[in-house]
Amino acid sequence: MTAGAPTLAETLTIYVARQLRDDDVGFTGMVNGDASAMFGSAIPLAAMYHAQLTHAPNLTLLLAGWLTNPDISKLETMPDSEFMASLRDLDADALINAYPAQYRLRRGDITVGFSNGAQVDAYGNMNSVCIGPHDHPKVRLVGPIFQTEHLAFFGREIIMMPHHDWRNFVEKVDFVSAVGYPGGVAGRRELGLDVGSGPALVITPLCVFDFDLESGRMRVKSVHDGVDPAEVRASTGFELGDLSDVPVTPAPGPADLEILRTRVDPRGIMLSNANPGEAR
Amino acid sequence: MTEKPAIKSKLISLSDAVSQIADGSHIAIGGAALHMHPMAFMRELVRQRKRDLTVLGEIQGVEVDLLAGAGALRRVESSGVGLERYGLARNFRRAVEHGEVVMADYSDTMAMDRIVAKGENLTFWPVSFIGGTDIPRYLPDLVEFDCPITGRKLYAMPPARVDVAVIHMPYADERGNVLITERRLMPQSQDLVYARAADRTYVTVEHIVSHDFIRRSPQLNHLPAFQVTGVIEAPWGAHPGSMPDFYDYDEGHMEEYVEASKTPEAFDVYLERFVRDAGDEATYLERVGIRNLLKARKVVL
Repeated sequence: MTAGAPTLAETLTIYVARQLRDDDVGFTGMVNGDASAMFGSAIPLAAMYHAQLTHAPNLTLLLAGWLTNPDISKLETMPDSEFMASLRDLDADALINAYPAQYRLRRGDITVGFSNGAQVDAYGNMNSVCIGPHDHPKVRLVGPIFQTEHLAFFGREIIMMPHHDWRNFVEKVDFVSAVGYPGGVAGRRELGLDVGSGPALVITPLCVFDFDLESGRMRVKSVHDGVDPAEVRASTGFELGDLSDVPVTPAPGPADLEILRTRVDPRGIMLSNANPGEAR
Repeated sequence: MTEKPAIKSKLISLSDAVSQIADGSHIAIGGAALHMHPMAFMRELVRQRKRDLTVLGEIQGVEVDLLAGAGALRRVESSGVGLERYGLARNFRRAVEHGEVVMADYSDTMAMDRIVAKGENLTFWPVSFIGGTDIPRYLPDLVEFDCPITGRKLYAMPPARVDVAVIHMPYADERGNVLITERRLMPQSQDLVYARAADRTYVTVEHIVSHDFIRRSPQLNHLPAFQVTGVIEAPWGAHPGSMPDFYDYDEGHMEEYVEASKTPEAFDVYLERFVRDAGDEATYLERVGIRNLLKARKVVL
């Protein structure tokens, strides 16, 4: 069961787990659709649960903003809906049913979050509202939902993009529904956004991005094993600079893989349903 | 000695309740995405051919899509409209792209806070976190101002207009006391925010119960009768969405719904069969079919 090279989903799960701290309160929503569910929900959930089992036993996992520290390993199928019965009845520390919830969003109780969007731009601004002009959109999307708050209030946001394409990695998004670093960290401060919030990483099927906090622009931090940096450049709608020295995204060690396969996702329902690499 | 007034019954029929909704009303609708929406009430709005409605709430779904597909909507004021695993809400998407429905885009907490502001009778709610977004650009009633205490740049967001709230709940008595099962979900608490903010509140329920039933579990009465305008018995009232402790969402019917919503013509056929020609909720449920309904009852109690 534990034999075999890591899949991309496993590599990214362990990569994300290593970003998490013992004192984190981590928030992820339920995202749907094969590749989107993998990037938006399965990898963040598995990573937080893995961190709880290894270096971060005190991490608080907030599923969909209302289920605290659920036992992810007991999931029989991957939930595809935010308030479905199987999720409500999952073994957990707390079922938060009050509105407003117990966590103090505006005060920064949530220290790490995961989100995705239809578009993300060179400064980490996100769009889940529309493609084309707002008044006569070419595609009307869902809406700002909780994305605005993710990037404004959560300590650090890990943007999980299931598709890496020049059409969704653009120089400027069609509608800014959540703010990255226009003008860098200084720019965020001028906009009245709290220092210490904002996107930290952007993870795609091809690479990991972080941000130059002075200019605010996204830059390639690593490319995944087997990915040609030229493919990253061709798939990105903004300038990436010199990619000749970019390292490879680190692979998980055998001990981490073993825990992932036997204790986090023992039924193989989270990380095996789809190969996110196919979503390119 | 003056005569003692009789205990009032707030129990009314679905058609009578909906006949009290004027065209052009601003309605806060309970539920989220595929869950806990007052769908029986939505279908009756369509049967009575209501027009120019403005719908508000947070995370809308199949209820807004149905109204959009029936041409009953003018405006949506919310943080989003979507059908979760079924993707974008196609009727809604088409109506916005064709300019038939206007979407006012708020973030999740903004969408709630403007309803809270209405319930608290405030003149505005301060919003601190939307600098740099395009949200205020398309919401002309927001006013930028400097905080009089700290000087921080804020937006003043006026309270929402909420003529009516419509929510779907487990139980109510004839007087209008509304009881929620113990292991409720967060959207049901948000429904209570809508109910307490609105000028008038209609509650559809799975079961009408006796007043004694309510008094045996008063700790679960989250909406005492004085806050309720009318209660309506509507079993399977959230169908094809879910209702905690009663049924999960109906996958079979949702697939049929989503397929129909791909074109206006197909959706009109859907509306005729399941809503308009069906004429009432009993016929709707007959046409949905007992097999779909039984499958949706796979709820662990």
